Amino acid sequence: MTDTAHKGSIQLSEESRVLPSGEREFMMDVSTADLEVNMGPQHPATHGVMRVLIRTDGELVTGAQPHLGYLHRCAEKIGESVEWLQYLPYTDRYDYLSAMNNNLGYSLAVEALMSVEIPRRATMLRTICAELNRIASHLIAFGTYGLDIGAFTPFFYAFREREWIQSLFEKICGARLTYSYIRIGGVFNDAPPGWLKEIAHFCDVFEEKWKEYYTLLIENHIFVQRTANVGVVPREMAFDFGLTGPMLRGSGVDFDLRRDLPYMIYGEIWDAGAFRIPVARGEKGTLGDCWDRTWVRVVEMMESLGIVRWCLDAIEDGPVIGEIPKVIKVPAGEAYVGIENPRGELGHYVVSDGGKVATRCRVRGPSFTNLAVLEDLLPGTLLADSIAIIGSIDIVVGETDR
Amino acid sequence: MDFQAIHDHLRARGAPGLIAADEPRAPNKKEKDPGRSGHSFVTVEPGKWIEFLTLCRDDPRLGFELLIDVTATDPKADDPNLWVNAELLSVSHKHRLSIKTLVPKERPVIASATAVYRAAQWHERECAEMFGITFEGHPDPRNMLLPDDWVGHPMRKDYEFPKEYHGISCE
Amino acid sequence: MEREYLLHRLHEYLAPEWVPGWFLVLGATLIGVGLVIGLVTFVGLFSIWLERKVSGHIQCRYGPMYAGGWHGWAQTIADGVKLLLKEDLIPKTADKPLFVLAPAIVLGSVFGALAALPLSYDFYFGWLDLGLFMILAMSSTTTIGVVMAGWASGSKWSLYGAMREAAQVVAYEIPFGIALLVPLMTLGTFSLVEASAAQSGWFGMKWAIFQNPFCIPALVIFFTAALAETKRAPFDLPEAESELVAGFMTEYSGIRWSFFFLEEYAAMFLMSAVTAVFFLGGFETPITAASRAALGQSHLVTQLVCAVTLVTKAFFGVFVMMWVRWTLPRIRIDQVMTMGYKYLTPLSLLCVLGAGLWETIFR
Repeated sequence: MTDTAHKGSIQLSEESRVLPSGEREFMMDVSTADLEVNMGPQHPATHGVMRVLIRTDGELVTGAQPHLGYLHRCAEKIGESVEWLQYLPYTDRYDYLSAMNNNLGYSLAVEALMSVEIPRRATMLRTICAELNRIASHLIAFGTYGLDIGAFTPFFYAFREREWIQSLFEKICGARLTYSYIRIGGVFNDAPPGWLKEIAHFCDVFEEKWKEYYTLLIENHIFVQRTANVGVVPREMAFDFGLTGPMLRGSGVDFDLRRDLPYMIYGEIWDAGAFRIPVARGEKGTLGDCWDRTWVRVVEMMESLGIVRWCLDAIEDGPVIGEIPKVIKVPAGEAYVGIENPRGELGHYVVSDGGKVATRCRVRGPSFTNLAVLEDLLPGTLLADSIAIIGSIDIVVGETDR
Repeated sequence: MDFQAIHDHLRARGAPGLIAADEPRAPNKKEKDPGRSGHSFVTVEPGKWIEFLTLCRDDPRLGFELLIDVTATDPKADDPNLWVNAELLSVSHKHRLSIKTLVPKERPVIASATAVYRAAQWHERECAEMFGITFEGHPDPRNMLLPDDWVGHPMRKDYEFPKEYHGISCE
Repeated sequence: MEREYLLHRLHEYLAPEWVPGWFLVLGATLIGVGLVIGLVTFVGLFSIWLERKVSGHIQCRYGPMYAGGWHGWAQTIADGVKLLLKEDLIPKTADKPLFVLAPAIVLGSVFGALAALPLSYDFYFGWLDLGLFMILAMSSTTTIGVVMAGWASGSKWSLYGAMREAAQVVAYEIPFGIALLVPLMTLGTFSLVEASAAQSGWFGMKWAIFQNPFCIPALVIFFTAALAETKRAPFDLPEAESELVAGFMTEYSGIRWSFFFLEEYAAMFLMSAVTAVFFLGGFETPITAASRAALGQSHLVTQLVCAVTLVTKAFFGVFVMMWVRWTLPRIRIDQVMTMGYKYLTPLSLLCVLGAGLWETIFR
């Protein structure tokens, strides 16, 4: 581990040293300074506008300093000036790749302050959409990670399935990326006829494709060589940095909010045995390396199919939104609700003073917390490995910056 | 453990700085109590912030390995205090704890939790720039999301938006 | 026996007596240069179109479909015209003379290497007893241009690409050359024309890989090393798209960039052609043998059959290179070096040993 007392700017190497005898030693030969390279804000591999200042000695990275804030859109401040329901489209836009889960997190937090009954059909639809969104998000993580490593083709295959999911979402709520579908009190639209059947068909097709993706990229020898034993996050480091989601499970910690602190009907689904939690076992190298994290994401896609199928069997007719007034006035109080986003724990801390507008709407983004390990992981790796590490953290800069 | 049990255990262990537990209560017209909805949390003295967090992390029955969030709230423009909230999560015992402490606005200083959890480092940087709280002992107090030369603390309720920034109008 | 330049001969037949000798030589050379440039351009244009179609179909999409009508055959021409009309940008921190010179060196080396490639038994730009040597030497000179480009761009990312390129090429020159020793031993000649001639038995199927079984691992090693020499995936670190934006080519745009691009495809064609000549029979297939038996070696049809055979085999090699590129991820630089020095070099030496023993015992 490098010295973690980071100063404001990266310091250059010294040009003279003091020997134990007290004499000063001068470097008489060619002085080679470390190269300071700026990765980003525009870079194909930083998954958004993020800047990482890297100091390298040849190909070896000796220091890294991420600079965020290029995509900061003041979501939390806006939360204090718009009404409760009007804030929902803003929640779509922080982790725009898993917008359903963002909507869900915010709605659950506000519902924790209100006493509104969510109809069962709404909960089922919420679960289906959240899990399909998890699959879509992991498909992007898998595809773009392949792209970072240099495998151009799995990206196209992953996007083919994601297009299908997006068209499914378009049928139910009209939007392909930023849905605002899961609202306070339920969901805003019922499933059109044939939608549930199409999802069942999608599950069957996706199961076959998943096996192809696994063999094509995850088991590919070159991919394994590039990602195994790279960016190892041991268990203690994962705890210390507050990592959650696939980063935590990739380090061998068996914890998933859906099973351990269940929200909505996940407790019921777990008891029915519809899904399992993949926890990395260090199959292809050290436990907690990039391959383990990617493996966790890919296997999670399969498990989400199990949840979706259970919901398709158990769903019944009924209303899709609870009794909420047109203008929502949330009773005074505060609550924190954390859900399992595809990237980790997405937490919303909402404070209300009884009015139409929130007093505080704090968003705890998993990408923001997970990214903090970069300063400690990158030094000591090669430049190509730093790309692999950044990709395996699976960040969305919309969420790091909010 | 549920919240009651956690709070009882904290009191039994003599947790440093523990003030009280705040639980949601229904409105009571008789006592003119508007009530409070939501989730429970404990309030802690700011001076004993670090010791409290260390106890939460190290106590075997509490076992809060993960610091989920450190954030702040400005409840009202005329409120003399800022709230500093921390969220803890235990992976082994599968329970959560919300902690709140009050920090006065004239002197918003609190010890940095980086020594206890590395996760606090980035969260505290964001808090510092948004609310103007100084986290003593923080190893890297730079601005996180705002530019280095930003003036003011945006998340305060009495914050005034600048008219322009480097010649760009902010109207 | 004195060999005359084919073109020189043609020129003699076509030109009147009062034209001086040196003028004929000059004319022949210029026509030869023009033909090489034409070959490179055609190969480049076709390969780029092929790459886009191959990559498209592997990725479940079509690739170019509009430009020119049938499957976008004119797409590359359209792109070429666009590139010609682009603004000539040279970064302020760039070393201007080197920046301008680098693409020229890179493309010039490939021209020189392709000039040594014969297209049939009688059509070659110059008789070279050591044709293979010339090709190897000229194709190695491209590295100078690449490193120059990376340095002269004045960008740290380009510098990374240049450093990786230098390390990679040096590492893979060794198995590249050693693996070639195996067919050289089998066929007994450096000249490409004579190498093809040495594979003309068994009704056109007396290819080097069938003559000596050690040619097969040598073929694999040579092909892998050729992939590394031409900076194609999985060895495309010098221009690693997702890491270094475009590596050493980052600061190049317009026609300068298209030089690098053409060089890449021309080098691919060249390596595939060399593979075809030394391992896979060169001009020889049953069709060539039939044509020779029916019409004779020097007949125009036989010459055409030879040329078409070689070009087809070379483009098949190019197709395999593209196929590999769009399937496999990229290897990291230290793994590239490990593979080159620790695995391919000893393996190629073993192949040479085995091939030598085979030759001694069985031939």
